[in-house]
Amino acid sequence: MTDRTESQASSRRQFLKSSLLGGVAIAGAAASGRAAAAGEPLITEVQEWNQYPGEGVGTRPYGQPSQFEQHVVRKTVPWLTADAISSVSFTPLHELDGIITPSGLCFERHHGGIAEINSTDHRLMINGLVEKQLVFTMADLKRFPRENRVYFLECAANSGMEWRGAQLNGVQFTHGMLHCVMHTGVRLKHLLDEAGLRTSGKWILAEGADASAMTRSIPIEKALDDCIVAFAMNGEALRPEQGYPLRLVVPGWEGNMWVKWLRRLEVGDQPWQQREETSKYTDLLPNGKARRFTFSMDVKSVITNPSPQSPITHGKGHTVLTGLAWSGAGAISRVDISIDGGRNWKTARLDGPSFSKALHRFYHEFDWDGSELFLQSRAMDDQGFIQPTKDELRSVRGANSIYHNNGIQTWHVGKDGVVENVEIS
Amino acid sequence: MSKYREVLAAGLLGLLASAGSASPQDAAAGEKVFAKCKACHAVGGGAKHRVGPHLNGLIGRTAGTAEGFRYSPAMMKAGEGGLVWSEGTLKPYLVDPKKIVKGTKMAFAGLKQDADVANVIAYLASFSQGGAEKKAQAAPAAAQPPSQEKTASTKPMVPAPAQQPGVAVEPAEQTIEQVSSSSAEQPVAAAAKSAGAQPSQAVGDGVVLKLGRTATEDEIAAWDIDVRPDGVGLPVGHGTVSQGEQIFDEKCASCHGDFGEAVGRWPVLAGGQGTLQNDRPEKTIGSYWPYLSTVYDYVRRAMPFTNPRSLSNDEVYALTAYVLYLNDVVQDDTFELSNENFTAVRLPNEANFTQDDRLSEPHYANRRDPCMSSCVPGKAQITTHAAVLDVTPEDAGTDDSEAPAAGIE
Repeated sequence: MTDRTESQASSRRQFLKSSLLGGVAIAGAAASGRAAAAGEPLITEVQEWNQYPGEGVGTRPYGQPSQFEQHVVRKTVPWLTADAISSVSFTPLHELDGIITPSGLCFERHHGGIAEINSTDHRLMINGLVEKQLVFTMADLKRFPRENRVYFLECAANSGMEWRGAQLNGVQFTHGMLHCVMHTGVRLKHLLDEAGLRTSGKWILAEGADASAMTRSIPIEKALDDCIVAFAMNGEALRPEQGYPLRLVVPGWEGNMWVKWLRRLEVGDQPWQQREETSKYTDLLPNGKARRFTFSMDVKSVITNPSPQSPITHGKGHTVLTGLAWSGAGAISRVDISIDGGRNWKTARLDGPSFSKALHRFYHEFDWDGSELFLQSRAMDDQGFIQPTKDELRSVRGANSIYHNNGIQTWHVGKDGVVENVEIS
Repeated sequence: MSKYREVLAAGLLGLLASAGSASPQDAAAGEKVFAKCKACHAVGGGAKHRVGPHLNGLIGRTAGTAEGFRYSPAMMKAGEGGLVWSEGTLKPYLVDPKKIVKGTKMAFAGLKQDADVANVIAYLASFSQGGAEKKAQAAPAAAQPPSQEKTASTKPMVPAPAQQPGVAVEPAEQTIEQVSSSSAEQPVAAAAKSAGAQPSQAVGDGVVLKLGRTATEDEIAAWDIDVRPDGVGLPVGHGTVSQGEQIFDEKCASCHGDFGEAVGRWPVLAGGQGTLQNDRPEKTIGSYWPYLSTVYDYVRRAMPFTNPRSLSNDEVYALTAYVLYLNDVVQDDTFELSNENFTAVRLPNEANFTQDDRLSEPHYANRRDPCMSSCVPGKAQITTHAAVLDVTPEDAGTDDSEAPAAGIE
């Protein structure tokens, strides 16, 4: 309240309002000669927002979240990278609910900064093993049949800083390279049909128009299956940070393949072995070998609240636990919750739409007795895959594979309700 | 809905006109006859198998060979015996299917009027060979996703009328089916085992809308700069180690260090060989990268970091040669790398990359229902605590966000 008043002190009208309020309060007390009404002043006293009209329509032509939600933002971990131009910011998962991530909060991962491209200046080229090498404008692309799909996007390196043990104290940092939006676009297959795919075409190369000219090789089977060339997210044009005006959607597969500022699709008969599929996004194993083309994202879940950035502040009693679950293999069929570090489990309640390769929201309501808790969630998908423990992963992969860490997360809840990222035995 | 009907009506008119012009005498009448077939067969843009196979490209097709359709053994045998659908072979079949192919699954008594047979064959012929493509372009109505904006968006989907006079839309029934079934409910997570499918309907496969324009050779050359390990994509050019050293000192060393050892958290380019099994592996071009082509490709497309696409092809050859030298892959500083000798150079770690075999890991194989009670003995004990962000050791990160930071012992 104090902050807000100070921030608005320059407004003469606000100043007048404050004076008036003060005057009324004093006058009221003097007139009644009684003690203030019993109860919360927020209720017993007429509040400013109830007493004076607010801003009219049109003062916020593109609406923003409430000024009281200004802390709900993407955050960075500056020491992670050499420079913000090629870096990452994280989605504040602990501040969100449902399954759709607001466009402005979707995590960012840029390799050459945000390309600012006018949609009228953007072109998409299809070349290589096709009958007709084509160039499309954005207007051309919008004349193809459109599709709307809700899919999660997870960076393969999400939770990558946690391989050696609990490190970052917040779900935003441990799991925040994740978002889920509804994309609108054109099935990639239709574009390839338009160009006339040759039977020798086995891979496509997707390329971005940004300063990193990001490239990834994608097997043709995936390209023809469910990939979308998208120009909208959550009902409006893509945000620049998400590849405006055009990005590739590669459902269930690692986020790096969802090439932003998509300008070119080349059809070839073998993969191109680009930087981001050889030196990066390959999974080093303890024997010195490295897995390549580990495209699909495994079944995973995390409790978003309570979590280190969202402690329990209400003390013991009825408590709502919630979180997210997802799988690159399909839909989530079940999420189990443990409050004792995996000794005993209960099945959580899934709520909201259930789409294949999309986030799923789960809840578990319980009566907290005020004792120490070790919270865990364990997801299962409709293909029968079960989220493993971090120890199960490490026993096979060691601690240097960086990517594809879908292990079960543990949050420790202290008796004071403070939550910390831990690992347990 | 009334507006929608208008669109359909217009489409049907177009269909009649088009069919008439494509096959002057019969096809339009054949389309009416085909109403008897439509319960089981689809034809035209986006047509899929139903009870019977789709009939696009029927003329000239060997009997029993439409991909993805489960034929009767009799029909497949007929095809193997040489039955190819033509006007001549279709005629007797359509008059009495079971007589011509004994054991066919097609439960249709046959057409009794010779004119009907001839007309429906003419109609089907318009979806074969040259005719098929024409009709396929006419599929916009079927090709659109079901949505409220359907009527509004129908118009622009129709290919340019000047080139395609009177193109047809899909048969009316089919379009209406799509609309009526488009109100798919969102699956609710708590409710359903069968959840997960995103509400959708097939939008025309194989449809060619004649959108976009042909890319020019120069345009393709300007953007298609990717290079593969087999040398495909390499431009003509050359550069030596010592030339590369000069360019490196000037344009690269400020981030990557004088010898590729890196400044701060910028990527280390050299060294680290033999460390991949260490507790702290050092992944460099020499120790980790499988292919030299990736170096050339990446430097050309994305380096220097603040000014990509500014290096000449020869400069990229020289820098690539210098990186080989820094990594002891070549020892001679007069070594010249060119498009001629490029693929002869191999990086040391090429053989150590494997395909994705995650499914072989034990926890993937275990798809049984997981343990629900008393799964782990004893009380949980904390083994590692998260570091508070601002005390995480400075040397924790490396070149990229995906690098693991230091663990807490």
